[in-house]
Amino acid sequence: MSRLEAKKPSICRSDPLTGERARASLAALKGLVMSCYGPAGRLKQLHNGRGGSVVTTSQSAALLAGLPVSHPVLKVLTAAVRNHVACFSDGGLFTAILCCNLVENVQRLGLAPTTVIKLNKHLLSLCTSYLKSEDCACRIPVDFSSTQILLSLVRSILTSKPACMLIAKEVDHISTLILRAFLLTIPENAQEHIILGKSIIVPLKGQRVIDSAVLPGILIEVSEVQLMKILPIKKSDSFKVALFCVSLSGDLSDTGEGTLLVSYGVSLENAALDQLFNLGKQLVSDHVDLVLCQKVIHPSLKQFLRTHHVIAVDRIGVSLMEPLSKVTGTWPIGSLGSISPSSYGSVKDLCIAKFGCKHFFHLIPNKTTICSLLLCNRNDTAWDELKLTCQTALHALQLTIKDPYVLLGGGCTETHLVAYIRHKTRNEPESVLRDERCSQTELQLITEAFCSALESLAGSLEHDGGEILTDSKYGHFWSVQANLPSAVNWPDLPSRCGCGLYSSQEELSWSFLRSARHPFPPQTCLSREATGSADTLTLDCFTAKLSGLQVAVETASLILDLSCVIEDTN
Amino acid sequence: MVACVSSHLRKTGDGAKTFIIFLCHLLRGLREITDKEKDSFLFENIQTCGRHWKNCCRWKFISQAFLTFQTQILDYVMDHYLSRHFLSIFSSCTKERTLCRSSLEMLLGAYFCGRVGRNNHSLMSQLMCDYVFKCTACESRFEEVLELVDDCFVELKVGVTGLPVSDSRIIAGLVLQRDFSVYCPADGDIRIVIVTETIQPLFSISGSEFPLNSEAQFQTSQFWITERTKAIVKHLQNQNVKLLLSTVKQPDLVIYCAGLNGISVVECLSSEELSLIQRVIGLAPFVLPEASSQYELSHTALAKFCKPLILRSKRFVHLGLMSTCSFAPHCIALCAPVQGLVEQHENALHGAFKMLRQAFKDLDLNCVTQTSDQSCTSGPCIYKNSRESNELPKIVNSSIQRSYQDTVVKNKGELAKTQTNLKVCSNLIVPSVKLEQNVLCSTPKVAVTDSYQTDETLRCSSPNKGRIMDDHEPFIESNSANSKPENTRREISYENLQVAKLARKDSILPLRYKSLETCTSQSYYSSSIPAGCVLPVGGNFEILLHYYLLNYAKKCQQSEQTMVSRIIANAILGVPKILYKSKKGNYSFPQVYVRALQALQTNQPMISNQTGLESVAGKYQLLTSVLQCLTNILTVDLVISIKRQPQEVYDQDSEEEL
Repeated sequence: MSRLEAKKPSICRSDPLTGERARASLAALKGLVMSCYGPAGRLKQLHNGRGGSVVTTSQSAALLAGLPVSHPVLKVLTAAVRNHVACFSDGGLFTAILCCNLVENVQRLGLAPTTVIKLNKHLLSLCTSYLKSEDCACRIPVDFSSTQILLSLVRSILTSKPACMLIAKEVDHISTLILRAFLLTIPENAQEHIILGKSIIVPLKGQRVIDSAVLPGILIEVSEVQLMKILPIKKSDSFKVALFCVSLSGDLSDTGEGTLLVSYGVSLENAALDQLFNLGKQLVSDHVDLVLCQKVIHPSLKQFLRTHHVIAVDRIGVSLMEPLSKVTGTWPIGSLGSISPSSYGSVKDLCIAKFGCKHFFHLIPNKTTICSLLLCNRNDTAWDELKLTCQTALHALQLTIKDPYVLLGGGCTETHLVAYIRHKTRNEPESVLRDERCSQTELQLITEAFCSALESLAGSLEHDGGEILTDSKYGHFWSVQANLPSAVNWPDLPSRCGCGLYSSQEELSWSFLRSARHPFPPQTCLSREATGSADTLTLDCFTAKLSGLQVAVETASLILDLSCVIEDTN
Repeated sequence: MVACVSSHLRKTGDGAKTFIIFLCHLLRGLREITDKEKDSFLFENIQTCGRHWKNCCRWKFISQAFLTFQTQILDYVMDHYLSRHFLSIFSSCTKERTLCRSSLEMLLGAYFCGRVGRNNHSLMSQLMCDYVFKCTACESRFEEVLELVDDCFVELKVGVTGLPVSDSRIIAGLVLQRDFSVYCPADGDIRIVIVTETIQPLFSISGSEFPLNSEAQFQTSQFWITERTKAIVKHLQNQNVKLLLSTVKQPDLVIYCAGLNGISVVECLSSEELSLIQRVIGLAPFVLPEASSQYELSHTALAKFCKPLILRSKRFVHLGLMSTCSFAPHCIALCAPVQGLVEQHENALHGAFKMLRQAFKDLDLNCVTQTSDQSCTSGPCIYKNSRESNELPKIVNSSIQRSYQDTVVKNKGELAKTQTNLKVCSNLIVPSVKLEQNVLCSTPKVAVTDSYQTDETLRCSSPNKGRIMDDHEPFIESNSANSKPENTRREISYENLQVAKLARKDSILPLRYKSLETCTSQSYYSSSIPAGCVLPVGGNFEILLHYYLLNYAKKCQQSEQTMVSRIIANAILGVPKILYKSKKGNYSFPQVYVRALQALQTNQPMISNQTGLESVAGKYQLLTSVLQCLTNILTVDLVISIKRQPQEVYDQDSEEEL
């Protein structure tokens, strides 16, 4: 029963940002995402009062997917963040916080949007060109001859998601697994275009995290009943595989749009079954050892194959078809008639494996770029979070291969950038003032708003009331405990900066973040020794963060450019 | 009003806001006038009618006056006065019309300024400009390209969300928004075949009956189907086909066979995609032969490459088609953080293509001029003056002479079209170049065909010592299919007689203006706004029109024409008034207006402080659309509101819009 309702006139609101409601909702969203940020971030539980599943998370992907947002400005913001996450997996919270900060800071200034947008764009291009330049001191080129940097990157991603509930030992284990799974997807003899393989994440809930494993090839889950029917596998060094994408159930499909007039006594089912048996005979005569089918295999055909010592596994599902065809080197067969011998493939070995309480049929390939990551965690919510994290880490590694750089994490990139921008706009403002036609004051105000947005972003890594300092040599991020006695010479306290690159052994002078101080030129050109010496660094994915920065500034500009919101009520 | 605006926008892609502003000002102006002249404006016979009826008649009368204005005066003013201010987007240094990149950028920049966010419009106009130049395989045929891009824009763009806007780029080749059903990597040129039906024969076609009498018959039929499918695919392979584009979903068997034979398959192409591909490569769908015997494959085309393209972890089909038309296939990947922004940019780009398409069309104007009786000298051609001022005589007159001879000698009873190009390039340092040119064509009246005489005087004076480019293209259409001399109808249009001069030193644009006096024995000639005419933005067009309309109104004898011209002249000024609303001081509207008027009165070039151009054709179309809308509104005498199901009304509305 649907009720017809006349179209109500749309609601038109001008200046969507100035209202109290807008400010409050923006502040609420900002508080929400800020409190999730970083390794010490607080977890959020999303649940419906009526019951259903509960999501415990601190990741933007899960958080924003479940968060009901009503204000149009916030809708734009969350949509931008979710799209960013869909593209890069990582850096969602970074983008969200930066965007909120920018909108809030600029809103407070009350300058004309044109100027703000122009200057923000200019500052953004300053950041991106610096981050892409050779003398950028917060970017490290990845050395693929050792696993150190890649492992640090994976570790940083894992530790920044506290809802995975991992202890240090488990973090080590999982990060090694992720890196190994990733390395298995890289083809051995890579040519110009590397086509990466795939790591399939296989769920195994309720097990210890430490039981997680990486296996080359594909795991197909089989039920115990099916398992009983599978014969003991004979020893051989190669197994011939046929992979079907058509249904082998003997149903009559594709009889056309016309009518079939079937005479009495003629059984098409039998005819179809005959055809299946012919197919079975051909498979047997071709010495196929394993028949895999995306859809259903007719029980009679299964029985027939079993009697001829051919293993048949059906209901594979469409998602496994592509990796299976890759692993075995088969063409998925779409014909019930004669099969071309070239469409058969092979695997090196077959075995039945039991992990936890689940049975798997394990296809071990000769040489391929497909592997299975068997992921264990104690409960469902933690497993979901861990799975998302693993996907993020794998994606980050893929992006790193494309653009072989990583950024310093732990807030150091942000504070360093702030120092760079402040110095640059203070010392070389002429070009900006000429190109963008704005006044010195406007430039300073906007720069301050932009920098404080970045600083506040870095500052939100600290959740336990600690103080944040920056040094005046590298412009890095240093965190110290709260309530330190004033008598203590506090520059001695922080032992390592946020990313772990520098230690306080050096003679450094510190100042509070967000305190007024003289702009200084941060040291550019990262030395090789510096990166080599530190064993565990906190690192961020370069591509994801760079794009996140751009998306955040562009979205903030978009939001600030809104002068009117027209909403349909029904 | 909304329906009128949207239909205007659909056609021209530009001017929706100006439409509303102008229309509002017109209506306000009308109300003022009618309030003032309550009774003086009435016919005598209306006085007997009721008050309401009186009003209606008056409105009807006014609307007719507007219609007359639109069809007669507007074109006359455009042609006689405004045209001398028009600039051309083409760089006329060369013989052929070539698009001037910087002018195009200015035109697009001004267009995008009002349509996309402040931080993106320069990027968008750059992108679009690059796109137009990349897609144009043949310089002189960009109109076709624009037409194709406008028609198939939806298929030529790919929206990508989640990436910064600055990542938007142009992709060489065509991107189909679906994945391969089978992908077989292939090198070299790829032969393509398009099919519109399933390759596998169906068991029975719709509406028919297929009697099955035995199981064996069923099996044989299936066997035959399989074999035939294989044979067709095998045949395609033998013909070296590497890519099969299908508008329908192909059965598994076809996909399997294609994969085995190294043929990539793309299924479920939409009809729009199909028509785009067909336009680009001129390929007709492959018709399955009745008999499975040997047959030649006539309908194939080639592609340079065919590979998957990954955008935002989605796979697309990327085709490098070898174009057989003037369009070199390219796609635009539009990136933005949110879907809404992608759509905004898509719409803006599509509108920009529409706008360009209109801007590069010749727009015909009808001008009815009073018969002028000027004595026409008959005699041979005189090129005295033009030769004097010409450094390159060989280019100049050969064509004219030829056309002259053609018309004289042949003078067949057919439609004779002659186009002549006269180019006068003089770099002489002459304080004022006076160019007088008489093109006289006369044929003896004794002949079956008739004669026509033209006397055309072109006077141009250039204050600066600069290059004078003269692009003279008389378009003579002599239609004398009818051999009776008295019944011959002739149209002689003199077109594109331009004197392009570099008046402003900083401007790269040639100023084209027409000072054309034609003396024909006919009183009717048609002229047009040539393709690519532009004016600087910032209300230039509006101020010019305002000025010349007022001038016209002063000269005009008929009272209602004077009134209508005044109303329009004042209403059109509302547009620049709003444009300059936020400006202060020297750039405020009164200042700009006064400066412009002074420049016009002293015949000096108007100086615009804004960079950016707008198309004259677009402005002209906008004017006519508004006037038509206004006459529509004015002729309605009663609005009857009817009550119906809201849903139904809504549906009807949408149907009408379609």
